[in-house]
Amino acid sequence: MILQQLSFLDWLNGHLFACPFKSYFGLDCPGCGLQRSFIALLKGDLSASFKFYPASIPLIALIIFTLVHLKFDFKFGAALIKISFFAVAVIVLINYIYKIYNHQLTA
Amino acid sequence: MSEEQENTPKNNPIDLNKPEQPANPPSGFGPITPPPFQQQPPFGQFGGGMGQQNLPNSTVALVLGILALPACCFYGVFGLIFGIVAWVLGAGDVKKYQLNPTMYTESSYKNAKAGKICGMIATILSALTILFFVLAIVGAITNPRIYDEILRGLK
Repeated sequence: MILQQLSFLDWLNGHLFACPFKSYFGLDCPGCGLQRSFIALLKGDLSASFKFYPASIPLIALIIFTLVHLKFDFKFGAALIKISFFAVAVIVLINYIYKIYNHQLTA
Repeated sequence: MSEEQENTPKNNPIDLNKPEQPANPPSGFGPITPPPFQQQPPFGQFGGGMGQQNLPNSTVALVLGILALPACCFYGVFGLIFGIVAWVLGAGDVKKYQLNPTMYTESSYKNAKAGKICGMIATILSALTILFFVLAIVGAITNPRIYDEILRGLK
């Protein structure tokens, strides 16, 4: 069962959506790494997931929380979603700027 | 005098000097019921009580606004589309609620507002991304040699 799962993840790893911007111009876009990060997360490797794309774990948490909020309607839910969405957007932006400054854009 | 008698139960509900109502606590609490729009519906998934509805596009706006963030990454334009759609739907619902606050539930109003703001943030982020893309593309087309040098420098 586990072996099957791993082979599926490997297959997934070889069949990611290619970023059109990266394939034409050789530069990462602000979302590059999200899929690799997600696969690392499926494998259970949190640190690798964070290294590929730091915003993916908060983003997934935000999506799950939004679904739970839409189901159960928390009083503070909408405000929390707003704040954490802003935080995730800032993480994405900082991650991209960090990549530019540390010459990881073409990696 | 008759006007004063009419006003006394509203302004001073627990009036002990009144002979008609001798110490009756339920009648004293009667006039202090809150106005209907302040009553919060207890469960949002049932559309709220008291004939209040959820705003029609609040859920869609919220979900699209959040999905706009990962979408802005995949193919650039999708984030912009999702963000703008969430922004427009959210803003429309906010306006609808402000025109008629008693008709709709407050939780869906909050969701619509959150969707509007998420859409706004995603739109700004996508616009920045696309601006960066356009600059890079224009740079690559007009000065291919310099672009290659910069690309080599980034490696």
